[in-house]
Amino acid sequence: MTDSIKKNHPDNYFSLLGLPVSFAVDKKRLTNNYHDIQKSIHPDKYANATDRERRLSVQKAAQINDALQTLKNPLQRSIYLLSLYDIELGENNNSIDPAFLMEQMELRENLSQVNDKDDPLGELDTISDDVKSRINKIISGLENLFNGLLSADEQDDELLKKTSAQVLKMQFLNRLQEECLNKEEDLADQL
Amino acid sequence: MALLQISEPGQTTAPHQHKLAVGIDLGTTNSLVASLKSGLAETIADEDGHHLLPSVVQFLGKNDDSYQTDVGHQAQQNAANDSLNTIFSVKRYMGRGLEDIKKHSIYNFVTEKDSAVPRIRTIAGDVSAIEVSAEILKKLKQRAVDALGGDLTGAVITVPAYFDDAQRQATKDAAKLAGLNVLRLINEPTAAAVAYGLDSGSEGIHVIYDLGGGTFDISILKLTKGVFEVLATAGDSALGGDDLDHAITDWILAEAQINDPDAALLRTILDAARQAKETLSEQDSATLTIELANGNIWQNELSLSQFEKLIKPLIRKTLVPCRRTLRDANIEADDIQDVVMVGGSTRVPLVRQMVGEFFATEPLVNIDPDKVVAIGAARQADVLVGNKSDEDMLLLDVTPLSLGLETMGGLAEKVIHRNTTIPVARAQDFTTFKDGQTAMAIHVVQGERELISDCRSLARFELRGIPPMVAGAARIRVTFQIDADGLLSVSAKEETSGVESRIQVKPSYGLSDGEIESMLKDSFSYAQDDIDARKLREEQVEAERVVEALQAALLEDGEALLSAEEQAAIRQAIDELIEISKGSEQRAIKLKIESVDKITAEFAQRRMDASINKTLAGQKVNELNQ
Repeated sequence: MTDSIKKNHPDNYFSLLGLPVSFAVDKKRLTNNYHDIQKSIHPDKYANATDRERRLSVQKAAQINDALQTLKNPLQRSIYLLSLYDIELGENNNSIDPAFLMEQMELRENLSQVNDKDDPLGELDTISDDVKSRINKIISGLENLFNGLLSADEQDDELLKKTSAQVLKMQFLNRLQEECLNKEEDLADQL
Repeated sequence: MALLQISEPGQTTAPHQHKLAVGIDLGTTNSLVASLKSGLAETIADEDGHHLLPSVVQFLGKNDDSYQTDVGHQAQQNAANDSLNTIFSVKRYMGRGLEDIKKHSIYNFVTEKDSAVPRIRTIAGDVSAIEVSAEILKKLKQRAVDALGGDLTGAVITVPAYFDDAQRQATKDAAKLAGLNVLRLINEPTAAAVAYGLDSGSEGIHVIYDLGGGTFDISILKLTKGVFEVLATAGDSALGGDDLDHAITDWILAEAQINDPDAALLRTILDAARQAKETLSEQDSATLTIELANGNIWQNELSLSQFEKLIKPLIRKTLVPCRRTLRDANIEADDIQDVVMVGGSTRVPLVRQMVGEFFATEPLVNIDPDKVVAIGAARQADVLVGNKSDEDMLLLDVTPLSLGLETMGGLAEKVIHRNTTIPVARAQDFTTFKDGQTAMAIHVVQGERELISDCRSLARFELRGIPPMVAGAARIRVTFQIDADGLLSVSAKEETSGVESRIQVKPSYGLSDGEIESMLKDSFSYAQDDIDARKLREEQVEAERVVEALQAALLEDGEALLSAEEQAAIRQAIDELIEISKGSEQRAIKLKIESVDKITAEFAQRRMDASINKTLAGQKVNELNQ
């Protein structure tokens, strides 16, 4: 079973950037490796090469850029790790618990009422900080969950389900965070 | 022990030759050309000692299909007497449709049947912005060839970071028309950062605020060990010093109660406005004197405070993108090491003051805001032709605008988000909507807004040849790629059958290949024989380039990555290509290049992989040593 898991594939984003497959990422090493690889394969280094090599270099550089974007961001990284187990997020929302959904609706409602408050930007900050701390809590839990998954000899379906549910929650919260930022931009433009 | 390199009999060993490459800043108001001279990048002056070439082209007539023009200072001086044939600020019209450019323009624009590109009616005929720009580029090219004493291997041309795909493509087409080999289009603020960063040697986060004659860019870059990484960029490709001139012009028109100025008077007023703006960068007031159509003289004072009142809304407009880049780069104002001012319009004191207040830091104004972009471009050009000057330098830029597709209901679905590092490739899957459907129309746009009508239309194309299937069964994967020039290409494949679909990209505001071809013919006014000779020569140069690149690759990696048979096969192919390219069959050379390309495909792939592995292996060793 384990052999079929794509995490062992040499073309996965972690191997591409010379990192171990794991949720925790050494940011400094990620950036260093990324820079060094781009220095060797970027199209600028193939400006005098054959057409074939130039084309390949554009494709490879694009792939490395994609790998960096995915690994840099905790949500993207989680979704990617799940994809190595052939899990596609968002197909089945039943796994999310009703209490969490209630909370989400409440936060959204607060956000929509920000404009009516005396200090809309201050109010927005409070909501946005709340969302951020919720995301951080999920992130710290995910490290253990993924460690458990990745170190298991056999695929642990129960654990996989539990992890996916957490990642799905993070996706909800991330969207909320984006909406907070959009709102902030709108408010700032009105000033 | 180093191995001695011995060349095949009959082949010359290419000694390390210094190739001539230039950087060109094709500006709205002024253009410059720069190159590296004994390790130092410098702008090149004309015979009169002028470094700046005013981006002004006066069309005088047409001779044997090629335009007769004056470019630069001469054209500028003649402008008031020949305003409709003397084109200023042509950069504002690049890659734009008619409705975008009519405002504030004195020229007679016309559109031709079967072409999306507007043309300006002149005494020499109807000319597109691309052809006008090509005249400026030709002048700069000639200046460089004269100064450097030889043909140019290639040029890096700068474009505003906020230029969209159509504007970039138009710039590249203009360079092609001017007979330049474009090594790369690079973003103006990035070029400025290269010049500034390499000189100051300071690592960290730099902000480049670039307010030119017609465009505004803001870029935030991080510099680490020779890598210039753009974190975010934003701007306005129709906001610059010209708009400050227009603000003054509108004020003059109102004060002098001029309702319907003709082109010549408007040109005179615009010139007076520009001079007043320049005076007000150093003095508290400027005197405006204008000769009206009836011969009367109108004179008035423009005070600094009145001037600042006129332009303040425009400068405030630049702060909106500033705020957005900070957000997109995910940094705080505290993280910023310095704010570098680039572009002639940053000489206006109010600009410096408002930018300083916004970033809460004194902006750097000690570099020449006119020359820095061309100088940065020259350094990058030198690296790209392989002169190994700043070998460790690497520019990682981003795409300034999101790329989207039209979906049901006129909405834009984003495929590539703004500020994604380029090159980037994203695939999007589509399916058919009706049984037996064999074609589908795809509309690509650039912009941030949700409605298609609020975004800029880039291209419409049709995917044809989809095998007939029931609705929803086909799986068409369309891949959008933005290359290192920031230019888009599209490819498509039907996944279930493996059929590659033909794609016809119709650029919304671009020239078709046919139009370019005919312009090239016109501009060189060659007879058919000459065109054939030129095509042959171009193909031979391409063959030489392929041979050179492959020999270098074999020398570097042949032993390590190829079996003896594989090496022999490639060597034989190279020899055949050398032999064929001595002949005069352009088509045969082209075919041979293609076949060599196929034979070496596997080798290219292995080299790329080996290069990455080597990099990563080197790092493991470093880590162990630490």
